[in-house]
Amino acid sequence: MKTFLKTTLTSTALVPLAFAAWAEEITIAIGHQSMCTDTYTAGIVVKELGLLEKYLPTDGEYADAEWNITWSDYSSGGPITNQMLANKLNIGVMGDYPLIVNGAKFQETDSLRSIYVAGTGYNLKGSGNAIVVPVESDIYSIDQLRGKSVSTPVGSAAWGMLLKAMQDNDMPAGEYVLKNQSPAVGAANIAAGKIDAHSDFCPWSEIMEFRGTGRKIYDGSEAGVPYLHGVVVREDFAEEYPEVVEAFLKAVIEAGDWIREDPMRAVTEMETWTGVEKEVLYLYFSEGGHLTLDPTIKTEWVDALKFDHGVLVREKAIPPLDFEAWITEDYIKAAYADMGLDYEADKAATIDPKEANAGLPAEIWHARDGVSTYETMPEFLAAVATMRGTGAKLNATYVYDSETGLKLFGKTAFWVKADEDYATFLRKGEAEDYAATHAGEVITFDAAIADFTSEG
Amino acid sequence: MAPLSIIAGEIRQRWRPLLIWGVLFAALHQVAMFLALVLRFRDWPNYVTFYDWPGNVLHIIRSTPSVRDMIGIIREEWLIEIGRMNYDYGTGISEWSLNIMPSRLLVLCLLGAMVGLAFSLLRRNACAAPTRAGLKATTGLGAFMVALTNVTMSWVVCCATPTWVVGLAMLGLGTSTSLALERSGPLLSVMGFGLLTALILYLAWRKSRPAQQSKGVPAHA
Repeated sequence: MKTFLKTTLTSTALVPLAFAAWAEEITIAIGHQSMCTDTYTAGIVVKELGLLEKYLPTDGEYADAEWNITWSDYSSGGPITNQMLANKLNIGVMGDYPLIVNGAKFQETDSLRSIYVAGTGYNLKGSGNAIVVPVESDIYSIDQLRGKSVSTPVGSAAWGMLLKAMQDNDMPAGEYVLKNQSPAVGAANIAAGKIDAHSDFCPWSEIMEFRGTGRKIYDGSEAGVPYLHGVVVREDFAEEYPEVVEAFLKAVIEAGDWIREDPMRAVTEMETWTGVEKEVLYLYFSEGGHLTLDPTIKTEWVDALKFDHGVLVREKAIPPLDFEAWITEDYIKAAYADMGLDYEADKAATIDPKEANAGLPAEIWHARDGVSTYETMPEFLAAVATMRGTGAKLNATYVYDSETGLKLFGKTAFWVKADEDYATFLRKGEAEDYAATHAGEVITFDAAIADFTSEG
Repeated sequence: MAPLSIIAGEIRQRWRPLLIWGVLFAALHQVAMFLALVLRFRDWPNYVTFYDWPGNVLHIIRSTPSVRDMIGIIREEWLIEIGRMNYDYGTGISEWSLNIMPSRLLVLCLLGAMVGLAFSLLRRNACAAPTRAGLKATTGLGAFMVALTNVTMSWVVCCATPTWVVGLAMLGLGTSTSLALERSGPLLSVMGFGLLTALILYLAWRKSRPAQQSKGVPAHA
């Protein structure tokens, strides 16, 4: 009897332990890119704010689940795809060209598939990619690249844009020398003047501009193909844990809200997480910035991805990609529905910087006082002159390209003074045209400020 | 069948030296790639990462339904990564690296052993100097084709995936040309192995020929 009692008690005591031992450990491995701004809402922001943990399911079959979440940072999308194929990553976030390679590589296998479940952000016209020349270079337009050396990370979105830009400008491959250079090497070569031009993805061009080493001569928006980033998931993982994929996408949506809520706070935090200067990040994430945070999958995006796939087939002979099988809106729609948001409304809305940024005020980022806004250029220039006069440190100034509506650093814009007003441009050619038609003159930022600097 | 039995006999007799040839060849290949990277980029590596290769392979086997896919993915698994990280921007980017992959080591080991076998057979073949030089050159060409297509260096410009064309790009071949050649890597590798196999069979056949000719001829007439 004594033995029976002992056995019964021991067994009863062990039951909870046994259940604990049976609790399923679910690993969620995510590959992201901390040096690619357009991926932040599905990468570094979700990671650092712990947003995925917030939305992970806790009931039903997940009641006893133990979560093992790992984040791996990569400098490009290619390795993320390889790690996803090896099932060491379940979720990956990357730009348009690597996304296509991801889908095509998975579909090339007999038994594995990836699915494209959501976007992270976009620029309707293709801004984010750009061609940069050394700041002292006498090259101001893409035509002047004939016979010159141009580097780019081959296989990236910037490479695709470069090919399209050259085609659009009737410059066949034989008329310029294409070199394969990483973003960091390209940026270093631009700083040292060792390369004539470098084409890169976000935020490298702006980093070069901000550091005063490079100047944009071509913005991706001229190619007219949307630039977008997105989230891919291994299909077997999504089928086994659909609620986890939904939770991840809810985290992506909240990450976007968090940035929009206070861009200044967001970029300041993101600078500490990524090492990318906050002033550069502000160009992307502030109101009127290059990046529209939007996880919906729009028809235009599918068309853009099909176009990109065509480029990759021609240039890199990548395998075919069945877009119908690869792209699914099911998970992002479910995430929207659960959060009480209107998916169709967001899907239908697209932001064109030219229209959306018309009339937005110029900004000055004062190191101590933060960002202040100015409705007119004279007000803006007068404020810069006053602040400079007091020796105040200005982190950055922001204006808009009159042609495209793109947000620019004040110091890198081409300024035109006509009558008593001022206009700003991304490219010198357009500034000159404007000056010619408005009886004005192209001047430097410093010259424009000097108009408002009082003597003595 | 005589050439095959000669090859089998040679392998049985000389398996230790052939194994050493294989291991040395694979090791020298890694050293050559390492030196190529250091000399090309004029920088020493500043990081090294060791991977749980057996654990990763088991994980792939468990999660890949198709054996064909499984083999393809395992083939790309790394054991050691040694390279240079650039910290000028952001949290750092791996500029270049040498990726040591067990699958490639195995291929290179086999290649080294085949080269050793070819030289061993060549040594035992009595042939004119020009023929010998031609056969040596053929061995070298076959080995070069396989060794070249098993380069496992990565350069972040090629989206940071180790591919054999990185070697070509580093040697100065145009980017577009290098990328156009990328998919022909397996074919070149098969051709290299094919060339070596044909050469070994030829040498074994040559070795078997005098024995066949001497049949029925009195040794001490």
